[in-house]
Order: sequence, then C-alpha cells, then structure tokens
Amino acid sequence: MKMMRWTALAGLAATAFTATAALTPALAGKADDTIRMAYDQAPESVDPFFNNVRIGVIIGQHVWDTLVYRDPNTGEYKGQLATAWRQVDDRTIEFDLRQGVKFHNGEEFDADDVVYTLNFISKPENKVVTQQNVNWIEKAEKVDKYKVRVITKKVFPAAIEYLAGPVVIHPNEYYEKVGPKGQNEKPVGSGPYMVSNYVPGKSITLVKNPNYFKDSPKPQPKISKIEIRFIPDRQTQMAEALSGGVDLIMSVPKDQAEQLQQVPTLQIVSGETMRIVFMQMNTLDNTPAPALKDERVRKAIIHAIDRQAMVKEIVGAGSRVLNTICFPAQFGCTDEGAARYTYDPALSKKLLAEAGYPNGLDLDIVAYRERNQTEAMIGYLKAVGIRTNLRFLQYAAMRDVITSGKAMLTHQTWGSFSVNDVSAATPNYFAFTAEDITHDAEVRDLLLKGNSSVDPQVRKDAYKQALKIIADKAYAVPLYSLPVYYAANAELNFKAYPDEMPRFWEMTWK
Amino acid sequence: MSLALSSPAAQPSRTARLLRRLRGQHAFLVGAGLLVLIALLAVFAPLLAPHDPYLQNLAQRTIPPVWYAKGSWVHPLGTDQLGRDYLSRLLYGARISLLIGVSVVIIAGLIGTTMGLLAGYFGGRMDMAMTFIVTTRLSLPVILVALAVVAMVGGSLWIVILVLGLLKWDRFAVVMRSATQQVRSQDYVAAARAAGASTAHIVLREVLPNIAPQLIVVATLEAASAILLEAALSFLGLGVQPPLPSWGLMISEAKAYMFFSFWLIAIPGSALALLIFAINLTGDGLRDVISPDGRG
Repeated sequence: MKMMRWTALAGLAATAFTATAALTPALAGKADDTIRMAYDQAPESVDPFFNNVRIGVIIGQHVWDTLVYRDPNTGEYKGQLATAWRQVDDRTIEFDLRQGVKFHNGEEFDADDVVYTLNFISKPENKVVTQQNVNWIEKAEKVDKYKVRVITKKVFPAAIEYLAGPVVIHPNEYYEKVGPKGQNEKPVGSGPYMVSNYVPGKSITLVKNPNYFKDSPKPQPKISKIEIRFIPDRQTQMAEALSGGVDLIMSVPKDQAEQLQQVPTLQIVSGETMRIVFMQMNTLDNTPAPALKDERVRKAIIHAIDRQAMVKEIVGAGSRVLNTICFPAQFGCTDEGAARYTYDPALSKKLLAEAGYPNGLDLDIVAYRERNQTEAMIGYLKAVGIRTNLRFLQYAAMRDVITSGKAMLTHQTWGSFSVNDVSAATPNYFAFTAEDITHDAEVRDLLLKGNSSVDPQVRKDAYKQALKIIADKAYAVPLYSLPVYYAANAELNFKAYPDEMPRFWEMTWK
Repeated sequence: MSLALSSPAAQPSRTARLLRRLRGQHAFLVGAGLLVLIALLAVFAPLLAPHDPYLQNLAQRTIPPVWYAKGSWVHPLGTDQLGRDYLSRLLYGARISLLIGVSVVIIAGLIGTTMGLLAGYFGGRMDMAMTFIVTTRLSLPVILVALAVVAMVGGSLWIVILVLGLLKWDRFAVVMRSATQQVRSQDYVAAARAAGASTAHIVLREVLPNIAPQLIVVATLEAASAILLEAALSFLGLGVQPPLPSWGLMISEAKAYMFFSFWLIAIPGSALALLIFAINLTGDGLRDVISPDGRG
C-alpha cells in the first residue's frame, strides 16, 4: 500500500512537472469561473442533427432547447419551448409555444422555427445523420404564431420522448440562410449556453447565456464559461486532470478512476448509464463467418463469457448484467421469459464440438471503445477454443465494416441517444436497418409493431416477444450496461445521470 | 574449400583467429551473453513460465511485482490488467520478438543477398536494374508502408513478419552488392573461373562464403530494427493480435496504467530495450572484429 502511494505520488510529480513545463497555465477552474472539459472524440459537426457522438449530444443540449424537457430526476415531462401539448388524433400532437424566448442572435422564437426545423430534418434529402431520431416525423404545421401541430408518419407513441431529447429547434431565419454548414461554423440556438469560439477538431468554448428565459425547466446557468477540448489520447486527458489543466473528464475506465480517487484535487463520480454493451454476430446470408449461422455456435459464444466477473472486476460500479438487447429502464424492455445463458465454458466447448468445431474456430472481432473489455472477451473466447482477430477501429470505420456485412463479431455499445424507450434501442440493430446483421423478419415485424402501436400493453407485448426471440435464438450476446466514471475538480458540485449528460447549467463551485 | 581458407599450417585457422579476437571484445561478450540468455529463456519458456500466459483471472488484476509490499512469489512480476501472469507473458513475448527478428532477417536476407550478389557479380545491366529496384524501395518509408498494408489486410503475426521481411531487404542488397564487387576481383575467383567452375558454383561457393561476415553484421542490425518495428506496429494496434504476448502490445496495453502502475509499462519496455541492446552489442562486436578499420 505504501509503495502504491509512492508510485501514485511519483506519477503525480512527473505529470505536475510536465504540466508546468508545458505552456498551458494550470489554473484551477474556480479562479476564473471556467469549467475545462476534455473529450476524446470531436463531433463531425456541432449541429445536433449532423453528428452521432456523445459530445455532440452534450453540446446540443446546452446550446439549443427542445420543445419538451424530461426532468432527469423524476422522469417527468415539462414544457420547455412548448408550454402545453395535447394529442389531437393518433398521429397528431398540438403544441402551445412559449412566448418571449429569443435565440442567441436576437431572433424571436415562434411557430415558424419549429415548423421549419421539423420539416427540414424530416426530409431524407437533407441527409440528417441521426435518421432514427427524425424519420418518424411526417411534417409540422403552423396553426398560429404560437401553436404548431406535429404529424407523425405512423402512430408513434415515443414522439414526446424524442422531442424531449435529440430533436432540438433551430432558428428558422438563420438556419435558412446558413444551413447546417453555417450552423456548424457559427452555431446559434436558444439554450442556456452560447458558443463563443469553435475550432473544429480542437476545442469549443461556451459562455453563459445572460438572457436565458427565466421559466425554462433547465435551471439558469451559474458557471460563466465552459471550455471543451478534444483530446483523443486518454493518458493526456488523465495527465491534464492530474495537473489541474482540465476540470472534468468522462468515461474514465474503472481501474484509472479508482487510482485517480487517491488524488486529493479530484473527485470521482460514477453511475449507471443507459449505454448497453452487446456483441453482434453476423448471420446474414453472405456472412464471412458461416459458423455463426449455427445457433449452437452462437450459444457457445454467450456461454463462454463470464459477464458477472467482467461487471464486477473491470466494468465497475453501477453496471449490471443484461439478458436482452435493451436498457432495463427503457419502456418495453424486459428479460422476462427470455433465455438466459450462464457462464459455462465446458458447455460452450461441448456446443462447439456438436456444431462441428471440436478444435475451435477463427473469427474476426471489431471494436471501438473499452479495449480492455474487448480483450477480456477475447481471452474468454480463446479459453473455449475460439481464436479471434481483433480490429480496433474508430466508430465510423467500424460502422462501415458492419453495414457492409463484413463483420463477424462486434463489440458494440449503444446509448439510445438517451431516449427512454425501446424504439430507440433494439430496432436499430434488429429491424433490417443498416446495422442489422441478423435479419429475422419475425423479430422485425414485432419490433415495428411495438414502435407503431398506441396501446402501451400491445407495445410491451410486441417488444417482449421480439426480445425473447433474439435471446432464445442467441442472435446477439447481451453483455452489460456501462457505468460512467467522471473525474472532476474536487471543488465542482457535480452530479452524474444515467443519460451520460453532464449538465453544466446546474453545476456550481463549492 | 576456397583458397582464402587454405592458410599455411603454421598459422591458426581463420575461425580460431576470429574467436580469439572476439574474446578480447568485452562489449561483444556481454551482448552475446545476454542474447544467448534471452534466446534460452524464449526457447524454454513453456518450462520456465510459472503460469499459462493466456490464463486470465479478472479477480487477480494488476498485482504488483514481488518487490512491492503487495506483491507475492505466486506472480513474481505481478499480473496485467486482465490478471494474466506478467512473467509468463514476458517469457512468451521473448519468443515472439525473437521469432520476428529471425524470420524477418531470413526473408529479407534471402531477397537482399540474392539481389546484392547478382548485382555485384554480374555488374552492367543487372547492376543497373538492381540498383534501380533498391532505390525505389529506399524511397518508401518502411513504417508507413507497413502501417498501410497492415491496416488494409489486417494484422497478425505472420502478416507482420511477411510485410517487414518484404520491406527490409534494402540494406542486405546494398552491402552485399559492394562486398561482392570487392570479392569478385580477387584472384581466387579468377582462378576458379579459369578452372572452369560454373557461375553458380563461383557465386555460391567462392563469393558467398567470403562475404558471410558482412552478412552476419547486417543481419544482426536488421533483426534489432525488425523487433523494434514490430513493437511499434503492435503498440499502434496494427501489429500482433491480442492475446498474443508481444512486448510492443504489452507496452501499448500498459499505457493506460502508466501513472499508477508503471511497472506494467516499465517491465516489457526494459525487456525490449535489453534485447535490442544485446543484439546491437553483438553486431557491433562482430563488425569490429571482421573489419577493424571500419569503426566509427
């Protein structure tokens, strides 16, 4: 223990030295009222509809507002840009809009903004990246200056959930003029923070919006400046956190988080997230690994991995083992009646032998994050005779491998864009979407039925059956939910939420 | 066989003289001693390793080495981030490094020596063609091409060996060419030609044995460089595949633990440095003995 402490101190001293040597002034954030955050991926665009990385969601929720707000503590929907809403018929919702809200450039918020934004993003030709967040919208219609109607393509009960999350409202006059490109270069929203400086791929600085409307369910921002730097290398991020160069880093692996806990200037905050981890297995007709078409091989793979031990030892506090491909708190998610697979390497070997692979087999695995978890799985698979070839890629490259049908096994994670409904999770991988490498028509039909039924009980039953088939036929390996560890400046009042969204607007200094 | 070796009986043989000179080279002795030791450890890894290098035990992760208060003799060098015994992985890792060093040198040596011999012996058009190929090859940065190829076809031990072997023959070709040019004009080559020996016989039996010392020196240097390149590729995630215990890969995986468990990165790092040091000392010693004037 003594030695461990010594090592920690030596590491600290070394980093402190490097930090002093470097040009960045290691100012504590409290002194200049700035939260400095480091994140490992840079968004392709700051416009929330044109990126699909977490930091994009975080920036989006701070710079823009949505019609509805979901209180993260109670799960209750509150009006944000809308003040009230009502279901007019199965496919139409009417919103009363808030008056007196202004965008950062002074443009007034009214029905035109909502109508323009929703109609823009719902058109496929505008090529919104996050299609699953917007493709349920048929159109929006203006009723009067502060009243709009949103019409969905089919019956879509989760609409409010999406309108409370990824579907932000752009200022129509500005957006019409500059388009997504201009919105990326000089973003304008109505949220509690405004973009003051943005260097693509490097950093983005947000400043407090002094005119943020008082009735917003998001509290008035208190800390004046947020500086987010994109630092791809985790060790650099850690060194920065140790030396006080940044005040907040997230998704710190469990081991490092536990070690950082010994550092007096930092606090470690952790919690479960909605992000689920699972392994896809390619069973398409042209799969490069025909062995995976054999149910016994797929079951052998699930039996080979000790998920309980992984959760306990390397994934960390707040994580739980999953039995179905969805996050348990999501509407419609259940593992009732679904097959469960225990850790049983002997059974796994037996299944492989029965399937005609007594000497094991070779499979590729693609992964893009939490490499230590991938390697633990590789170790478990090797123990039952499955030799793997790891391709560790950036998310976009891995997605290409999957959508072109060339993947065999994938170490996949999905955060559902923080949408608390199964429609944002399971269908993305099993309803014949680009990322679906299973293609079971029965599962697809059930999922689509769940997506587009009004009766909550019908939805639940449909999702339950779909999830049961996926589990029983072992189409994918459900692994665990991912906790997130934040290392934050000890002087910051910081709370973690399951949606992996640090909420700068509610943070204060101690 | 060749005339050069048939020295008068009064003098000790050439091999004996070489060995005597080598004994005087302390650096060489240290290097060669280390190299032999590492090679023995690698060869007998299955007997020496206390555990299966692939056996992961998530409950026993990042145990520090024995000299720390929390260490124990069960895992003399501790365990890695997945609870695998670090000493066992280090020993098996030596096998991979040496396997790569030797295999790359064999492939590159075969290609480079053949080209050097042909160019040096025949001269003229053959020489021009070979020089052109060597120049072309030299214009390609090895690490970049290796990265591109591995990124395209995917990494594995054999791919890394092949790629490096097919890229690293340039020094063999250049050195063998100039060495052959020197040897070609020797009297014994002329004598063999006059005696009616075939070209193949002359090249393989008269020229090759006489340029072998230079070949060995180049081979040691290239082996060291190949081992380092493999470590670099594996470090970047484009080399040897996990869970194979390559030293480069071990360094890469330990990177995340650098601040608080630095032995994880220090142990394979030191092992790699030691191996390269040993090979380079051996190579330098050999060079000094073979051509004492070529120093510095």
